[in-house]
Amino acid sequence: MIARRIAGADRRGTGRPRTIGANVFRTGIAIACAFSVLALGAGWWQVVDAQRLSTAPDNPAVIAIARRALRGDIVDRNGTWLARSERDANGEALRQYRDDTISHVVGYASRRYGTAGLERTYNAELLGLSGSNAFGQLFTKFGQQPDQPLGLQLSLDLRLQRAAVRGLGSDKGAVVMMDPTTGEILALASTPTFDAGAIADPDTSQATFEGLVDDPNRPLLPRATLGRYVPGSVFKIVTGIAGLDSGAITPQTTYPEQPPAEKHGLVVNGFRIKDGHHPQTGSTALDLYEATEVSCNIWYALTGLRTGGQTLVSEAAELGFGASIPFDLPTAASQVTNGNGGAPGGFEDDAELASASFGQGETFVTPLQMALVASTVANDGVLMKPHVVTALTGDGPGARAIGPESWHQVLDADNAHALQQAMQQAVEGDLGKAFTAGAKVPGIPTAGKSGTAELGGTGEPHSWFIGFAPVENPKIAIAVLVERGGRGGERAAPLAGDLMQRYFELYGNP
Amino acid sequence: MSALAQARPRTTFRIHPRPRPTELGLLAIVAVAMVVGAAGLGATQRYRAAIEAGSPPTALDFSPPDARALLLYLLGLLVVHALFVLAGRRTDQVLLPAIGMLGGIGLLLMQRLPQDTVVQSFGSLQLGLGQLQLGWLLVALGVITVLALAVRSDAWLRTYKYTWAAAGILLLLLTFVFGSDVNGARLSLSIGPISGQPSELLKVILVVFLAGYLSENRALLADESTRIGPVRLPPLPYLAPMVAMLAIALGIVVVQRDLGAALLFYTAFLALLYVATGRPSYVIGGVALFIAGSYVLYHLFGHVQIRVDNWLDPWRDPQGAGFQTIQALYAFARGGILGVGLGAGLPTIGGRPPVPAIHTDYPLAALGEELGLIGLLAVLGLYLVVVSRGLRIAASAHDDFRSLLAAGLALVIGIQAFIIAAGNLKLIPLTGITLPLISYGGSSLLANAVVIGLLIALSDRGIEPPPPPRPPRAIRRFRLRRGPAT
Repeated sequence: MIARRIAGADRRGTGRPRTIGANVFRTGIAIACAFSVLALGAGWWQVVDAQRLSTAPDNPAVIAIARRALRGDIVDRNGTWLARSERDANGEALRQYRDDTISHVVGYASRRYGTAGLERTYNAELLGLSGSNAFGQLFTKFGQQPDQPLGLQLSLDLRLQRAAVRGLGSDKGAVVMMDPTTGEILALASTPTFDAGAIADPDTSQATFEGLVDDPNRPLLPRATLGRYVPGSVFKIVTGIAGLDSGAITPQTTYPEQPPAEKHGLVVNGFRIKDGHHPQTGSTALDLYEATEVSCNIWYALTGLRTGGQTLVSEAAELGFGASIPFDLPTAASQVTNGNGGAPGGFEDDAELASASFGQGETFVTPLQMALVASTVANDGVLMKPHVVTALTGDGPGARAIGPESWHQVLDADNAHALQQAMQQAVEGDLGKAFTAGAKVPGIPTAGKSGTAELGGTGEPHSWFIGFAPVENPKIAIAVLVERGGRGGERAAPLAGDLMQRYFELYGNP
Repeated sequence: MSALAQARPRTTFRIHPRPRPTELGLLAIVAVAMVVGAAGLGATQRYRAAIEAGSPPTALDFSPPDARALLLYLLGLLVVHALFVLAGRRTDQVLLPAIGMLGGIGLLLMQRLPQDTVVQSFGSLQLGLGQLQLGWLLVALGVITVLALAVRSDAWLRTYKYTWAAAGILLLLLTFVFGSDVNGARLSLSIGPISGQPSELLKVILVVFLAGYLSENRALLADESTRIGPVRLPPLPYLAPMVAMLAIALGIVVVQRDLGAALLFYTAFLALLYVATGRPSYVIGGVALFIAGSYVLYHLFGHVQIRVDNWLDPWRDPQGAGFQTIQALYAFARGGILGVGLGAGLPTIGGRPPVPAIHTDYPLAALGEELGLIGLLAVLGLYLVVVSRGLRIAASAHDDFRSLLAAGLALVIGIQAFIIAAGNLKLIPLTGITLPLISYGGSSLLANAVVIGLLIALSDRGIEPPPPPRPPRAIRRFRLRRGPAT
């Protein structure tokens, strides 16, 4: 019937519309196509994307399993347990955590408030759900056995983690310690911390959680990975990397306009950039080493201007700026500029670019990002992918080791060596010592850069330090931030020195 | 029905029984599927209840959860079939089993969901979700039977199309003035104890009006053009009444925030316009207008913005606006290819299904979880069967009005199923309309019963010839100018 209608359908130009039958047929085809799209959509959710959705931490089925299943253990790099599960009197699973210092890394697994931290990232693996996909279920549907829960082996060292949290004390701040050659995170401290066990315990869950949410100090914020701060002078290392790698400067570059500007400041676009080291350096034209040692704002501003906004932003992107850092935990994106301006790279104008070059523009960074910067310099310009989970342990599917992986070759070894030397001078040089007192690890060549992030207003600045040790064949890179901690050299640098010293006590001098 | 009785007082049943073997065979398959489904559902529900009570049963009990309801429903289908046989009309034999299966799946689903989701009391009688759905299904079967047997002439539809249009608009206005709000949209009109959603019925009225108007004017709409300089535009004067009718309906619907109905009306309008004229330019222009209109609506109305934003990224507010969407996706994913089994899905949060509107807006998510991808494809296939039967009826109808009416009725079901299914599957923003013949709800079931009943009536190959066409004034002028058409 339909075919006959179509046969007589295409009589165009005769003044009569085509018969309805042919149009009906085409409409039917359209409906069939639309329904095919529905079938594809259903296939997407039910087959292709099913595993991700079925193991999502918020999935009520996963939550239901979590009530019964014993989650896998989480241990630090020495095998010390950080989180483990037991059954309570009702036979329901109860999660225990070793102490508060690890809460921002390990997170929590609560019946009421879901999961956070590594408990969230590896929720499916810890519950033993990771092996289930749509096709696998096809065969296991009848007589299904739940997979073995997997455990997590971390690169974290509980002793360093505790030292870092203790060192931050009652201040708000963050410490990131990592092995620059492997990207393994040894300490990832954020303060204030919280009692993850009390959130996991159904009896205390609600009171604890609501108290934490209402706390003005925001203890639930993992500052090391999600806190974004004005970097101040620690950002100069990023500017140095950008200038050197793009060829805009060499380690020997000096600026004739720099010494005369020291007295009254360098005016860029009507914005005056000042320095405080004039009494020490006088009219010397500084190079990379000296400028880093005395933390010369004007030299770095001129370097940033010569490098150009576009290059600064793209070199910073090599270091991980501009997007969330791929990591085991959620990370905030660090930025060189907010990108709203019309100048190259998204800067407002040269004044913003100049300010950003010493970390005082619209620049915001996470402590983890700054640890990556220090780590890149330490590892001769090669940025390793940061990771805190080194193995998924157990018998189930998905158990595997997670080894080091290089992420970006940011700059070549010669330029990296120049920055290493400059940062060493910033810690150990005669003038550098004045800025970074206490960062030096006794007996071990130490490199670093302090930062004092002015926030405007009357409050204390953020205190920053990034560094690594030893200078040759570095073992440990560090970033320390203390909110409103005062000058970098007063608070962050001594803490970094203590923690690096603690590392060498634990792992032996090189 | 009173209008029908007045229009056709001589309608009597001539008893010339004519066997309908195809229908009977297909109904038998439906019955088997229903019994198996109900047995599985009963076994699963009892097994789960026993597990939760702490004593896993040693043997499975395969009796249906509500054997009487199952029997009543199957009996209802059989009675309809018997009446069709007795009436002896040569009507379509596939539609009844197809919608019987869809309705049956809906019935099983409503029996499976928590029964206190919807409770209505009639005196001392308290009816839960499954019983109410059964009641409406039986009424719907009655409507189908009456329409399929009694409608022998379409004069009462084609002659009074403007009256129907006016009645439809009036119905919407009444809802707007006297209606009550459902989920922030003014959808529901109550007369005494019975409340309904008039927009469901309006879709039928709209199709009747469009079929009537288009069948008279399709020649003009297809060939005439309004020229503005070099630009060839459609014949605007002939489009105007139709567009005006549609604009009024759309306007009211948008003001009432019933976006799903608005989308359905508009899509059905475009589809029918194409069927009548065969001009793709209408569709292209319509889609362009739709995009422009959506843009304006998005910036004008907060609730539209919420829907669209929530569609683009439900994970932005996973505990709030995005909750339903995300839970539905989880349900689809849990189902996988084979499904978790009828009655075994839907983990509850605090004793409730995580998708609050599961019985009206999201039945597909529940089906996707419990019957899996294959079950979902089967349901989609059933809708395609209904649509294709309707379109066949349209293609073989005697005249333009019947063609357009049948096509419109079939398309309205297909498009509505597509809109809500695509919304459930996050292919388009979710708009709250029902999944035809499966969702819970009296208005929806009755409106779709009217559609199916009319389709079966129109499919009668022995139907008496349509009345001689009454050429409208527009056609007469057309003939004067062009000379008599062949």
